[in-house]
Amino acid sequence: MKNFIKYLFTIATVIFIGGCDLEEELTGQYTEPNTVAGSEDKDIPLDNSGGQFDGQIVNDDLEGAFAKLRDGTAGHNGYWSIVSVGADDLFVGQKGGDWFDGGTWLQIHRHTNNATHEGTNNAWGATYGAINEANNVLSRGGLSDNEVSQLKVLRAFFYWRLLDTWGRVKLITTPGQDVLQSSRSEVFNFVEKEVLDALGINEVSASMDLTNSPLTTNDRKYRVNQFAALALLTRLYLNAEVYTGTAMYQQAVDAATYIIDNGPYTLSDENYSIKNLAKRTPDAATATAGNINDPDNLTGYAAVFAPNNQNNPEIIWSVNFASNLGGMNFAQMTLHYASQTTFNLANQPWNGYQTVTEFYGSYARNDRRLSNFLEGPQYDYAGRPLIDWAADDYSDTGAQEVDVNYTPFNNELEPNACRQCGVRMYKFSFRQFQQNDMDNDFPLFRLGEVYMNRGEARARATGDWSQSLSDINMIRRRAGVPEYTSISAEEYLAERGREFYQEALRRTDMIRFGNWGDTWWEKDSPSEPFRTLFPIPQGQIDASNNTLTQNPGY
Amino acid sequence: MNLNFSIKVVPIVLFALMCSFALNAQRTVIGTVTSADGPLPGASVVIQGTTTGTGTDFDGNFSIEVSDGDVLEISFVGYVTQTVQVAGQDTINVFLEADNQLEEIVVTGYGSQREREITSSVVQVTAEEFNRGPITNPSQLLQGKVAGLSIYNRGGNPNGGPTIRLRGLSTIGANVQPLFVIDGVIGASLNNVDPNDIQSINVLKDGSAAAIYGSRGSSGVIIVTTKEGSVDEFSLSYNGQVGVSSILDQVDVMSAAEFVEAGGVNMGAQNDWTDLVTRDALTHIHNVSASGGFGKTSFRIAANVREVEGIVVNTGFNQFNTRTNINTKAFRDRLTIDFNSSYTKRNQDNGNAEVMEHATYFNPTAPVWFSDTPFRQFFAQAQQDAVGGYFQPFGLFRSYNPVALSEQGRYETEVIDLNYSVNLNYRLTDWLSFTGQYASQQSRNNYEESRSVQDYHTQRALGNQRGNVTFQDTDYSFSLYEFYGTLRRNFGTIDATLTAGYSYQEEDWFQRQLYLQDFPNDNIDYAFNYGASEQLTGQDGIAINNTYSNRAPTTKIIAGFARLNLVIDNGIYFNASVRREGSTKLGEDEKWGVFPAIGLGADLNKYLGLSFDQLKFRVGYGETGSLPVESGLSQQTYTFNPNDGSTQIARATNPDLKWESKAETNIGIEFSQGNLNATVDYYTREISDFLLNTEVDAAVFGFDRAWQNSGKMTTTGFELAVDYNVNSVYTPGIVLSTYSTTLDEYVVENGIVTGNLGSPGQNQTNMILVRPGEKIGQIWGPRFVSVKDGNPQFADINGDGDPVHGQDKALDDNVDFEVLGSGIPTLEFGFSNNVSFGNWSINAFFRGALGHSLVNTFRAFYEPRVGSQSSYNFINTKLAIPELTTATFSSLYVEKADFVKLDNLTVSYTFDLPEDSILTSASLSANVQNAFVISDYTGPDPEPSLTDGDNVLAPGIDRRNSYFTSRTFTLGLNINF
Repeated sequence: MKNFIKYLFTIATVIFIGGCDLEEELTGQYTEPNTVAGSEDKDIPLDNSGGQFDGQIVNDDLEGAFAKLRDGTAGHNGYWSIVSVGADDLFVGQKGGDWFDGGTWLQIHRHTNNATHEGTNNAWGATYGAINEANNVLSRGGLSDNEVSQLKVLRAFFYWRLLDTWGRVKLITTPGQDVLQSSRSEVFNFVEKEVLDALGINEVSASMDLTNSPLTTNDRKYRVNQFAALALLTRLYLNAEVYTGTAMYQQAVDAATYIIDNGPYTLSDENYSIKNLAKRTPDAATATAGNINDPDNLTGYAAVFAPNNQNNPEIIWSVNFASNLGGMNFAQMTLHYASQTTFNLANQPWNGYQTVTEFYGSYARNDRRLSNFLEGPQYDYAGRPLIDWAADDYSDTGAQEVDVNYTPFNNELEPNACRQCGVRMYKFSFRQFQQNDMDNDFPLFRLGEVYMNRGEARARATGDWSQSLSDINMIRRRAGVPEYTSISAEEYLAERGREFYQEALRRTDMIRFGNWGDTWWEKDSPSEPFRTLFPIPQGQIDASNNTLTQNPGY
Repeated sequence: MNLNFSIKVVPIVLFALMCSFALNAQRTVIGTVTSADGPLPGASVVIQGTTTGTGTDFDGNFSIEVSDGDVLEISFVGYVTQTVQVAGQDTINVFLEADNQLEEIVVTGYGSQREREITSSVVQVTAEEFNRGPITNPSQLLQGKVAGLSIYNRGGNPNGGPTIRLRGLSTIGANVQPLFVIDGVIGASLNNVDPNDIQSINVLKDGSAAAIYGSRGSSGVIIVTTKEGSVDEFSLSYNGQVGVSSILDQVDVMSAAEFVEAGGVNMGAQNDWTDLVTRDALTHIHNVSASGGFGKTSFRIAANVREVEGIVVNTGFNQFNTRTNINTKAFRDRLTIDFNSSYTKRNQDNGNAEVMEHATYFNPTAPVWFSDTPFRQFFAQAQQDAVGGYFQPFGLFRSYNPVALSEQGRYETEVIDLNYSVNLNYRLTDWLSFTGQYASQQSRNNYEESRSVQDYHTQRALGNQRGNVTFQDTDYSFSLYEFYGTLRRNFGTIDATLTAGYSYQEEDWFQRQLYLQDFPNDNIDYAFNYGASEQLTGQDGIAINNTYSNRAPTTKIIAGFARLNLVIDNGIYFNASVRREGSTKLGEDEKWGVFPAIGLGADLNKYLGLSFDQLKFRVGYGETGSLPVESGLSQQTYTFNPNDGSTQIARATNPDLKWESKAETNIGIEFSQGNLNATVDYYTREISDFLLNTEVDAAVFGFDRAWQNSGKMTTTGFELAVDYNVNSVYTPGIVLSTYSTTLDEYVVENGIVTGNLGSPGQNQTNMILVRPGEKIGQIWGPRFVSVKDGNPQFADINGDGDPVHGQDKALDDNVDFEVLGSGIPTLEFGFSNNVSFGNWSINAFFRGALGHSLVNTFRAFYEPRVGSQSSYNFINTKLAIPELTTATFSSLYVEKADFVKLDNLTVSYTFDLPEDSILTSASLSANVQNAFVISDYTGPDPEPSLTDGDNVLAPGIDRRNSYFTSRTFTLGLNINF
């Protein structure tokens, strides 16, 4: 028995004292963030042939952070979707069995969405993911003043999205840091300060001197220069009254004027033309070829958003999209399934996003900006009408449609929105053999917006809308529509709507003009004032150990 | 460490108590215990009615102090116990007869025990009790045989593995399937064992039995013992089966005529798509084995060939497997060497997984070929050619010609497994032996997919990225080193067995995937020449997105373990074990865990003075752990974007990630009297710190997901197994089990909903409720009341006059949702009936489950007469409401799926052989699998869906990719030489 106990002791010792190396080394995964070290920060080589569409990677230390702009800027079910579908120009109708999705897009359209909305959650997560990446790159060090300043403006841009969409958020500037939730004014102040620092000034004024700015004045579409930083400020100041209660319209005017006077940008007008990559070229023998007549070139406004828009003279700062980089999916999001054969798309599209009839009707018939839409009967690449095999649909005449025809008419939002109703988004136009992920760069800031921001800021600063005429008429002229001789705030908002369709600005504009709570097509009840902010995702509040509180009203 | 301390001290105290039993004796008697095989070492010699006793030494000798009136009781496992009056004898030699009513020896992990000494819930199923017929996966042998063991292979895809659950949901983020221990090798793959080679399967159901396996035992342990040869008995046997399977049940849809009548779009043809893609499938199984021995060496060698066709065309597999078991003894039989090896090569045709889904709802008026359609003028000849001439309705969401799907691609998997193990056992003395074991498992899984450039399913046939080739090769290797000692001693009336040892496990996993698309034409199979991909030649500048390799870190488990078994007074059984284990997979400071277990059993017959054949009470408590399936979950990781050279967070860090732990208490009673045998078990178990990938603060982590120890749940259950031999002809048996699992704590206090219905149109429709304080597996949604203007109307369940039915409000206090059913059955049962008379025997096995519901997703999408669906066949069950034209999830699509099926019916005939026959036995059998199913469920298969893909929190969803069920008729021949 004694021996037995001795054995027990020995065994117990071996079992409980024994230890061994259990280090886990993840051989196949990165456990540190990194970006492949690139060559020196370079400008994009200019290629004005206009025939190419592939984005060129800027191979520098900042790319990891700038790449984050592709998350949600131009895709479905993230930032772009939530800010766009809630406005009065776009909607995603429930087409019978398609696109109900728990009512998520109907709620956004009618402003009845709540804090468990997946798209809202995605937008929040992607924005903080981007901020985290900017923080990572900044904390790694080894950057020039110019690079640090660019990153800070980039991060400020993401915080502007948070400021504009949710208002009260955490201002995180170091990886892994946790802080208290800031008020909307604090977030505003942070964004303003970061951008002013990058510009090397304390405030924006007509006489400001940017010679101390670490940022350059080079025309660099995928990176931040002085003009990109100022363009962010024009937008920030134009909305300052909404964000903080304090108007800052003069600063918006001054920032805009500086860009217009000093920047290398011009409006993309009649003189700027590029190849139309969507052009169908049926062989002459095809009897049905007469149905199509695609232009050889895209000119002016249409060229700003084309697949080969990377060098457009109007663009100040854009997001570099390309089929191999991913993130822009407008063709998939909006086109009817059958339109695959019009553009020889790599995949069948989803038949989701449509345009509100009244909004489309607000364009003059000769407005060049109708290039924003696909309307009317649709044909395949050889000129044959497209067939909808499930065309149990309604046209405005009530007749059953068999051929696909994108009508301005929309029968209803739900539950049986007709499958081919509503003109489709074509501002970011497609190319033949389009991949799911498109090649068009998305302008975050372009000269057209700077003019429109300045005109509006002048009018608001003085209370006199005629002060906006010279700027808005620049835009009207380019669109080929008659210039205004007098204008109301309401007309100004409508013009902004026509100009910035699909550019994710409509919500911000409608809030600033006080129209966000209005009723419109299939939004029959006015929405409450608190709806000018989105609810903070419930999952994030739950995961935050009570450091995040919900926006009032939700 | 308090726990450690108590674990060390408790057994010592117990021993101290036992020592006080020692008594004085008068004189010494010596003797030898022998059996037919020679001296019996380790036999027990006890003075009847006392606790005094001893054991025999290596040569069978013993000596014991006795008084004249004493009676010695001599016993040994597997022999009939003898009693001898001392009556003045000085030498007592005893010959023990082998016990023909051999009490079963049950393998329990690092040893074995007599069945009656076991204090936990262990069920043994031997070859005679296995399910019959063309078994393709060894787990099918057990289906319905063990109370509490659920095995479901929904639809019966020959290439799809079954879901195996022991006592329900045992873990959330870890290894849900039980641990398999094959011939002593833990963690071995069951796929590598041919059903024909299995001798017996033991299922360790509760935590007190499984705790010796530590972190890998939380989901239960299934011990498989393969057949061995025996010396001096050469035998050769052949076992062959030929079977035919045909489709048993499918989703009810409309015929072409009904479809047009109901307003469907008429494309002018008439086709039954299910008919076109299914077939009567043939199965052959052949097994040859030889066993025997020479001198001290015995062997068994077996070879198995299986060729199985699936009922869906272009699916099936063929498999070749061999197994060699060799056993030999040396050094005066002190050393026993076991060598087992197996080799398996399996080639699968997986087919396109969506063939059945599309066959169900593809337009019944659509032609197979464009050349048959009156509409062909609408499509350019070039487009028709681009998709190979198969009719495709360009312009519909997810509508693909099923015949094209089944013919335009190759989806093959080749699996090669090689396992071997060596086990050395050395009996140092009659009471001490050592075992050393090495086992190795090498697996290679090569997946090869080649899609025609005309394949429209990828939708690329019309673009310029046509065709694709995928190679995915996975290498897996596993090594196991174990060493343990077993010490058996007898202290008076106490038989003690102490087992203690060390275990080291190492796993490696390496995967490489190559994915290329964009091939010029179909002139050759580009799997054999992927260099032609235009992605490689760079013509379109499209990135190669899905090409990668990934080597998992070497994962290690290191453990020390010990177990003590005591048999006291031949009527009280005590077991205690402890395992301390460390794993690489956990957070920096949480790598080690301790898993104790204790069990007690008592022969109530003996102590209550009853006279049943058996009445045993037992109670056990055990703790086990669960490891995450993946490596590296505690660490922050990044994915690399080859396009821009940047990395992005794939997972936030959690250095505190620790074991998921399970504590289980099991109480059981085993009873037998006359022709009746019954076992009852009741258990309760608590799983805490379960592992789940849950939401974290994105602002802080830069990513909104991390693996966390996320909650706690409790399961209680009840199991019953009864056999009753009505007479020598008819012997029925039944097993029943029921359990329920409640989520006690969850990282999100208000809970979540999960199990998204999906596309088209029903995303963000999560159907399963996960909420603290509630049961797991509740289907959650609005209650359908009526149809108004084609729209479904839902009940105002809380009666507040304010109908709230939005999916986004699913968890709000005022939502009008209710529990629409449970995905988990309340009762599962198996009912076996054996009838034998003369040379005939009939075996009918019924199996069923009650109380569960399924969301019939085919109906949820395609039964409403939605305008946009008018070119998809309408699902047309007896539950269809033709007026309904909107598809919204509700109780309408949740169906009770109670079922009883005649799972297996076998009739066999054993031939009478002449005396001089070279055959020793021959029999012929006929078998029907899935003879019939009684169920109200309108979907293809009413078997419970315990998991939704990887999402174990979402049982109860019958997805559209379920394989069609089949019925199989088989003829079998078994001859032995």
